[in-house]
Amino acid sequence: MTNKDIDDILKSSTHEADPALLAGIAASISARLAPVRPLPPSWALTAAIAVICGIVPTVAAFFLGFQGIERLGMDRIRWIFPTLVLFTIFAASLTVAEMIPGSRRIVNAGTLLAASSLAVLAVFALLFHDFDMSRFIPQGLVCLGVGMLVAIPTGLANWLALRRGFAVNATSAGLAAGTLAGLAGVIALELHCPNFRAMHLMVWHTAVILVGAFTGAMLGSLIARK
Amino acid sequence: MHSDADLQMLMARYQAGDPAAAAALVNQLSPALHRFFMMQYVSRRHADDLLQETWLRIHEIRHTYRPGEPVLPWLYAIARHIRVDHYRKTTRVETRERQVEQLPEVSASRQGSAGMDLDALLRSLPEGQREVIAMLKISDMSLEEVARATQSSVGSVKQKAHRAYEKLREQLTRMGFGHIGAGGRG
Repeated sequence: MTNKDIDDILKSSTHEADPALLAGIAASISARLAPVRPLPPSWALTAAIAVICGIVPTVAAFFLGFQGIERLGMDRIRWIFPTLVLFTIFAASLTVAEMIPGSRRIVNAGTLLAASSLAVLAVFALLFHDFDMSRFIPQGLVCLGVGMLVAIPTGLANWLALRRGFAVNATSAGLAAGTLAGLAGVIALELHCPNFRAMHLMVWHTAVILVGAFTGAMLGSLIARK
Repeated sequence: MHSDADLQMLMARYQAGDPAAAAALVNQLSPALHRFFMMQYVSRRHADDLLQETWLRIHEIRHTYRPGEPVLPWLYAIARHIRVDHYRKTTRVETRERQVEQLPEVSASRQGSAGMDLDALLRSLPEGQREVIAMLKISDMSLEEVARATQSSVGSVKQKAHRAYEKLREQLTRMGFGHIGAGGRG
């Protein structure tokens, strides 16, 4: 039995939709038909939310202070920020794809979260070698809080920009949007935080991405269950 | 089968508020959509409901279709969402007895030209494979389009289709249709 034989069998079904049902659907749609403005192209939406993810952390750092970037040095800056910007653009692109049914995706939201967290973790591990653990938890909680305080308005602003979209998988969309917001939180921390201890950066700064993603996925899941 | 260029043109007119384009889209796309739902092992009544619900949702979010993009992945991504949502709600509220009562209705509804029960054939496939086969073979979508509609990769779609064909071949041989086109896998 060849694949073509199987195709023929699958296509041999005589099933048809009820013409009266189709007429009813067509009439119902036509009765409340008005012109609509299609969504802008994906690249425009991606650019818009990537810009939001640049502006919100910068504004936050403006109020908190730029002590982090001022003390980092060019050697570290040229690794940390391009990595964050690159993954922010990936995350923005995926978030837009999640909000438009039938979009092409290069990776899924889970892979993006894993890749961005590991990349940020690797950059911190390679660039920082002070393993002093004093005041690890209190300072870490402050950074986690600051990161989330930046991630939340970023997430809200992104939601406003993409509110006309429709997520066919709200959990996955929430995960992508949460990862994006978390990355914005990390950008703010790298601009502001002058604590360059390796474990502080690897645990607490990276945790902002994970907590952001988890929060986004939870919110998406709650929306999907409604 | 209608070309995607025609569908894109109809979608653009539908978005511009043309009722004739809306009716044309409903008439052209609904038969395959209905079969897609029927292949997912639901009763005819449920397939009718799902079809109506899908078109209502399509109407609500028709602005999310971007001109120039393929229509079928967009449409089937929405249909798939409606089916999953419906399944989630149904399993929450329906009793097991009621679901069992509906099964004969499905089985009696469709027979292939060779006299075989297509539902019994498709029932042997896991949900993900059945969905891929429905889109590829009933709706004539490309691998890339199915990947977009199911939010997966082309490789994953290919793998599911391959596994589905293996299972269908096995099932058909067991049902006594193994002699058709014997000698190759095409």
